Amino acid sequence: MNLIKPSAISAVLKVMSLALATALLVWMIYTAILASDFIIAGVLLIILIGANWVYFSKKAVASKFLFPGTVLLVIFVIVPIIYTAWMSVYNYKTGNEITKDQAITQLKLVGLVPDAAGTTYDMVLGKAHGQNAVLLTDQATHQAFLGDANKLTPLQPGSYTMDKLQKAIAAPGFTVASATDIAASNTWLSTFTVPVSNVRFVSPQGSDVAALMHEKFKFNAGLTQLQDTASGVVYVDNGNGNFVAKNDATKVLFPGWRQLNPAENYIGLLTNPKLSGPFVGVFIWTISFAFISVLMMWALGLTLAIAMDKKIKFRGFYRAILILPYAMPSFMSILIWAGIFNGDYGALNNLLGLHVQWLNDAWLAKGVILLVNLWLGFPYFYLISTGALQALPTDIEEAAEIDGATGSQIFWRIKLPLIFQILSPLLIGSFAFNFNNFNLIYLLTKGGPTDVLNGQTAGATDILITYAYKTAFGSNQQNLGLACAISVIMFVIVGALSMWSLKRSRVLEEM
Amino acid sequence: MSNAVAKKQQVRTPSNAWRHIFAWVLMVFAIFPIVVVLSSSLSKTGALSTGSLWPTNISFTNYTMLFTNPTIPFGLWLVNTVVIAAVNAVLSVLVGVFAAYAFSRLRYRGRKQSLQALFLIQVFPSFLALAAIYVIFERLGKLYPIVGLGSLGGLLLVYLGGSMGSSAWLLKGFLDTIPMELDEAAKIDGASPSQIFWQIFLPLTTPILVVTTLLSFIGTFNEFILASLFLQDVNTRTVAVGLQSFVGGTFGANWGPFAAGSVIAAIPLVALFLSLQKYIVSGVTAGSVKG
Repeated sequence: MNLIKPSAISAVLKVMSLALATALLVWMIYTAILASDFIIAGVLLIILIGANWVYFSKKAVASKFLFPGTVLLVIFVIVPIIYTAWMSVYNYKTGNEITKDQAITQLKLVGLVPDAAGTTYDMVLGKAHGQNAVLLTDQATHQAFLGDANKLTPLQPGSYTMDKLQKAIAAPGFTVASATDIAASNTWLSTFTVPVSNVRFVSPQGSDVAALMHEKFKFNAGLTQLQDTASGVVYVDNGNGNFVAKNDATKVLFPGWRQLNPAENYIGLLTNPKLSGPFVGVFIWTISFAFISVLMMWALGLTLAIAMDKKIKFRGFYRAILILPYAMPSFMSILIWAGIFNGDYGALNNLLGLHVQWLNDAWLAKGVILLVNLWLGFPYFYLISTGALQALPTDIEEAAEIDGATGSQIFWRIKLPLIFQILSPLLIGSFAFNFNNFNLIYLLTKGGPTDVLNGQTAGATDILITYAYKTAFGSNQQNLGLACAISVIMFVIVGALSMWSLKRSRVLEEM
Repeated sequence: MSNAVAKKQQVRTPSNAWRHIFAWVLMVFAIFPIVVVLSSSLSKTGALSTGSLWPTNISFTNYTMLFTNPTIPFGLWLVNTVVIAAVNAVLSVLVGVFAAYAFSRLRYRGRKQSLQALFLIQVFPSFLALAAIYVIFERLGKLYPIVGLGSLGGLLLVYLGGSMGSSAWLLKGFLDTIPMELDEAAKIDGASPSQIFWQIFLPLTTPILVVTTLLSFIGTFNEFILASLFLQDVNTRTVAVGLQSFVGGTFGANWGPFAAGSVIAAIPLVALFLSLQKYIVSGVTAGSVKG
């Protein structure tokens, strides 16, 4: 029997789906170019060419199967990892998020102060040469000007009409705005200024008064330093993304910009007491939490596996109940436990008639976390330990008995080391998983209790991943650069652990 | 020999009681939060203040509230979760089985290196790159709002990015067990690799693909960290993010409906899990399936 059907239909399907994908990609590239995002456009172009080459070529058979997965993997896993490493060498936090050019533009805009002389003008809104314009009269000298977005032109006395208070109210070539135009003027008036010189300009203050303003900061030619024109203080680029006062580095101007500074985040984690204190504490707790969790889960799971290793009555029933914690969606179980241990409404306090704030005390909260993790994890260890027990060769036990070993000797000296050997890759895997067990910590205690009043940034139960999350997306100060540095450190630890485990299990050689 | 067996039985016979006691103690531990949540969900006040595990006034207010109170769009959360978990499961298993076929059956230059590289990449949890993912999707979202932050589309793309690592690896193991003779016979009949894949491998592996799809579904259902980063708007949330957001911090006020929502969402998942138990157990002993 010939199983192979003619491939005309599949060829048509293939061409059609490729055409669709091509059309979509072309549209996406077009959109990206319109928004002048050439990096995204370039990446999409490479995907477009790659897809068409791979699927029309007769040679690249393996690539046809690997292409979709590889593209997704590269863009959404590998690029973010590389980007994380890249961000980790920048000073990139709240107040230092934009580029230097953007920061300078903003500094120029925010620093507007009234001119020292306090010059103010009466203002009449209108149009001149088809543009929005204003007729200005200096309130002190009664000198009149015509101003538009480009320049300020003095008017000769007698060339314009003024009222009894010597205020200019009409001029040739200037059309006074109607009442409706004035009502609609705030759409353009808020951004309207009349430049007087490089750093000075007339800025409207409402719809009938204007004032002479100047920029607070005067930049030097190379934009490397600036001066506060009022106080005379000179600010210099501190090399870390901010302008600071030349003689007082704690006087910082905001906004700053993200600045390449490879050592800042990493060295800071080790030497800056504000960062290293919480980091070292969190690091120690992360390791101990993961280690103790695995040890407890395994001890309980193995004991249970040994207890259930014999065909006792109701074993099937016991087993079905005992793996329920593993079958429940874990995020839900954690939230339920959080409710049970809640100090004010929690089920545990109510059932036992206690008033313990379980999650507000550092050590109690740590204990609760370990207990909940034990609940979540022991069924998994029960399952894998059962597997390991069944994989043990039976003749070993008999041989040991003949050699006169007692029951406990057989267990501690022979069975346990063998089980450990069988399970060690899974134990290491579980350690790595708990090392990054974000859900447990975040949903149970949010890393708390945190002594915010004493300026603590890390809570007593924060592990590295929740600490990185808070650092990156916290409510008051977000430090993406530092969060990425912590992530990189975790990548290295988890990666090294996995490599070591792989080397031991020799998976890599068997592929 | 027979002496040893007899001795073993003698030693073990009296020791069954401790097995039962141990099992019962652990069962109480295992089932305690489940009883609490069931009881609270049926209690009119969300009843954690009664001091009893048995609900005093049995009522279904908490359940009806989930579908009538507009500030808790639980129905929408369920739909969002099922849609994203199902779409992701199907697509990621498809992408995974493509790759697994190439890894298992095709011989090409760089095969071993690419497998090793993949193995190393998949041990890195992608949420470690959270901040980078945030910045990248903020930028993508400006161009294509359908995959930006806050969209289910963007979240789906991040999940799919990991499918090469997880699904492909798992499926390669299954495909390796299909005898080589099958492909060779088809090759002699003149089939191309694509034909072998679509017409022989895919039908043969359907049961395994279904199991992998369901496991992936459960995995996505449980995912919290990426979903909470992406889904800020109350109507686009998944069950995980939604339940956390309305119970987090204010257990007293929302405990009752939270318990009801948990029960509704947990029942199908626990049932799914228990029915797939056999595969999950063989999966966890071989590697790891569920976090």
